[in-house]
Amino acid sequence: MPTLLIILPLALLLILNLPLLRAARRVSFWLCAVLALAQVVATATHMGGLIPDLGAAFDPYIVLQLRMTGLSEVVLLAIGIVVLASLFTARAMIADHDERFKFGNLVILAMMGLNGTALLADLISLYVFIEITAVSSFILIAFDRDSDGLEGSFKYIILSAVATAALLASIALFMMVSPDTSFAAVRAALAVSQHSFYVNLAAGLLLCGLFVKGGLVPFHWWLPDAYSSAPAPASVLLAGIITKVSGIYALIVVSTSILTVGGAAGEVIMVLGIVSAIAGALLALGQRDMKRMLAYSSVSQVGYIMLGLGSGTALGVAGAVFHFFNHAIFKSLLFVNAAAVEGSLGTRDMDRMGGIASKMPVTGVTSIIGFFSAAGIPPLAGFWSKVMIIIALWQAGHQTASVVAVLVGVLTLAYFLSMQRRVFFGRLREGLGEIREARMSILVPAVSLALITVAAGLFFKPVFSKIIMPVGEMLVK
Amino acid sequence: MSELNLVLPIAVPIIAGILVLPFRAARGTVHAIITFAVAAFTLALSLALFGSEAALSVPWAPFGLDFSLRLYSFSAFILVAAAGFGTLISLYAAAFMRGKEKQNQFYGYFLLTMGLVNGAVLSDNLLLMLFFWEGLLVPLYGMIAIGSEKSYRTATKALIIVGASDLCMMLGIAMVYSITGTLTISKVSVATGSALGSAAFILMAIGAFSKAGSIPFHSWIPDAARAAALPFMAILPASLEKLLGIYFLSRICLDLFALTPDSWLSVLLMALGCVTIIIAVLMALIQKEYKRLLSYHAISQVGYMVLGIGTAVPIGIMGGIFHMINHAIYKSCLFLTGGAVEHRAGTTQLEKLGGLRAAMPVTCICFLVAAASISGVPPFNGFFSKEMVYAGALERGPVFYIFAVIGSFFTAASFLKLGHAVYFDRKGDGMERVREASPAMLIPMVALALLCVVFGVWNAWPLDTLIAPSIAASGVTPGETHGGASVFLVVMTCVALGGAILNHLSGYHITRRGFTAVDHIHETPGLSWAYERAENRYNDIYDLGKRALVFCARLLMKVDRAVDWVFERLAVAAAYATTARLRALQTGNYSLYIVLCLAGAAAVVAYLVQ
Repeated sequence: MPTLLIILPLALLLILNLPLLRAARRVSFWLCAVLALAQVVATATHMGGLIPDLGAAFDPYIVLQLRMTGLSEVVLLAIGIVVLASLFTARAMIADHDERFKFGNLVILAMMGLNGTALLADLISLYVFIEITAVSSFILIAFDRDSDGLEGSFKYIILSAVATAALLASIALFMMVSPDTSFAAVRAALAVSQHSFYVNLAAGLLLCGLFVKGGLVPFHWWLPDAYSSAPAPASVLLAGIITKVSGIYALIVVSTSILTVGGAAGEVIMVLGIVSAIAGALLALGQRDMKRMLAYSSVSQVGYIMLGLGSGTALGVAGAVFHFFNHAIFKSLLFVNAAAVEGSLGTRDMDRMGGIASKMPVTGVTSIIGFFSAAGIPPLAGFWSKVMIIIALWQAGHQTASVVAVLVGVLTLAYFLSMQRRVFFGRLREGLGEIREARMSILVPAVSLALITVAAGLFFKPVFSKIIMPVGEMLVK
Repeated sequence: MSELNLVLPIAVPIIAGILVLPFRAARGTVHAIITFAVAAFTLALSLALFGSEAALSVPWAPFGLDFSLRLYSFSAFILVAAAGFGTLISLYAAAFMRGKEKQNQFYGYFLLTMGLVNGAVLSDNLLLMLFFWEGLLVPLYGMIAIGSEKSYRTATKALIIVGASDLCMMLGIAMVYSITGTLTISKVSVATGSALGSAAFILMAIGAFSKAGSIPFHSWIPDAARAAALPFMAILPASLEKLLGIYFLSRICLDLFALTPDSWLSVLLMALGCVTIIIAVLMALIQKEYKRLLSYHAISQVGYMVLGIGTAVPIGIMGGIFHMINHAIYKSCLFLTGGAVEHRAGTTQLEKLGGLRAAMPVTCICFLVAAASISGVPPFNGFFSKEMVYAGALERGPVFYIFAVIGSFFTAASFLKLGHAVYFDRKGDGMERVREASPAMLIPMVALALLCVVFGVWNAWPLDTLIAPSIAASGVTPGETHGGASVFLVVMTCVALGGAILNHLSGYHITRRGFTAVDHIHETPGLSWAYERAENRYNDIYDLGKRALVFCARLLMKVDRAVDWVFERLAVAAAYATTARLRALQTGNYSLYIVLCLAGAAAVVAYLVQ
């Protein structure tokens, strides 16, 4: 069954591009959406224990090492949700059928890469799928073929090259001590030669490569440009899931499955988490461009996830995973809202907006839910994950980091309030009298994502005890 | 006699009050009749209950809050006295209030006051008593507020002063509960030795002082004398509140805490009593308005009661309680004469009044009797109770005695001035057509004046039947007291009175007007400065409190601004400065990005490798 998550997107991609089926391109959007929806339903029901794991039946025929864990399920669910949101946004924002068809192709390709990343238990395959995702996202950023998009895309490529070099170098170094590149083998090999210079070098390079992919300070330089210059639906995908899976999820997996969190690697992750959380929030405070502010907010929130991971305790890692999921949801929501605003106003400059909540009530309300969740206002989901991280940090003896996490929460509130005030609240700005609420295909994902955020917060107790905490305990054994 | 009868003196006036309250009336005859009938019924009931002992206890709520009432000698005495004043003053009010506005409210509050006072007196549970006690704030506020357009200011002042001291009392009750574990008054017995016990005593005494109108909780009373209708002054500050406040103070001192003469709390009480006597009487001396002058005396006389009870010796306590009932008699009588003058002459300014003795002979005689009583002229009632207080004070220390006698001197001086200015001096303008007051107003005055004489000449009767049993129930055995003032005390009193007369005559000799006869005291260097400050309310606890509150508010505002500045200016400026620095790094220069990336990677690797 897990294999299907990789095979089906690939198959769909191939079938859609068969020369004979040009007529099918008109329905390509719906096919992609159905596939993503199927992933959501399958993971959700599987997580609920409704359908058994069929993976074993298929796996022998595949060379790749797959493993389906609780963490993969959470990530796969997030992937499905964000891909759906991105597709719906694309339907509203991209008018031309051909363009939409191309966009659908790229999204499916990215989805395949993401699913692979979420399922693989092998370093070299992990690298391959990260690169598949990256290739797709390079094109997605430059989808409009305008100069901004090309510049953003190019920055991403340049800095991804650094990451690629670091990842490949580290895999090569690991190969020196390990028989193959599966997580288990590398971990076993590392346990033997713990203090070797090359092993530590390899670990450092691996982490740095993933830091670049995840956009942590000081490896984040590509991220604001890429997020803000990408077309709206691509931003949703990029910010919501692509950098998170190929950077952050990979970091979670690598640091728990190969390295041991809590050691020197844990300290590095913690320091970078603090720096990213503070710098990202401060940078977000100074932005006029709505999407750029959200991009820096991503950097800051990723810092939180790193803090939870760096704490090295089951609660902290569980908090990191939950925040990963929550961030995927609320950040996609905020980018969908940004798309709606950009679509209606034709600008992303927040200084030229004001009071549009009266004209776009649904967008305004869902945006408040999103930013409340991001700022950690109870009872929304973002509050719980931040509380888990803060408590875990305190319990693990990192009191300073815990206080920093709380203070950054204040900064988060500050920049999001500033955004809300400049964009949605207050009196309607002159010249904006004609704007209208966004189209239904943008409102549907916005409302759905908002509902997910609210529901995950309200039903925190079962979510915590049935799904999140077991994942944390599994990862920190 | 069924215990349930104990509920009647509480329930009947309260229910009648609530029934009367909503119905407006032009003339108010029905209201007045109902009020008088209820008051008379209460009086009859109290007299019937007098002499018997009864207790009623119904479990009501947790934490020891039972609905328990107890009738015994002391509470029965207060019950009779309160009902008596209620009856007389309701009769007077019927004449005084006729045709005035908001009569329904006046009579409603009047009845509520009677019921609540009875409730507070009968309660044998501290919380239940507190309920009635605090409930009195409602009619108090209402009765002042209906006086005139701006009376609500005075009403608010009274509400806040009395309400705040009631809160002190509530705190004291909580402390008593935590010390003894019971709220039943007849079971509570706290030693004043401990800090908590002393604090509880002081807090509860504050409640009693405030109700009785002692300094420094007095400042609303002179204001109310101007703002409120006169029967209010006669019923609340002059009689019922004194009865209730001093009753409760005696209960605290005798039953709840068993105050002993060697306790510093006793000295505190006596000192407070002396301060109250002197300051309030000095303020009374210079007043140029009938009711306001009386209201300061209503404060000053509380000092004698507090002094007497504070001596903690039997004769002093008896004197204090005797003075309480005497004061209620002559002070309400005096207020009623003031009301009669106001009703007929249309003013209470001493400057405009004068020569009313011919036009209002009965009022004048009643005034003279009551004024002689309050000044402590033998053989009226005030003389005997004061002598007993003096005896108690002298037993504890000559200082307290000297203060008390000085107070007596000024009291006499101010009443010489008042009587001279109103009833004797040459006739003021427009005083020719003044007539004697109506019978409904005269009957209460005359009755009260007669009581002054009766309680004076036959002082053994009230002392034996009312006062002695009251304190005997608390284990205080009176010694040989009846009129048993020593020769020394009588001589000293006569010297003080004679001095007052001489003082008055010399003052009159200078200005030839009665109402300015004490101006030479007013203008004494030093005193005149103090007077000016007092008249401008520099020492008013309410205004001081208001000023302190405003000061605190301003201070907190400053702190708030400072904190705001830190958050709104400093923190924001720091955040944006950092943001600007960070943004300066984002130049768009690819090589810089790569260099920074590699530097970061080098740092990470170096940390892991070392």
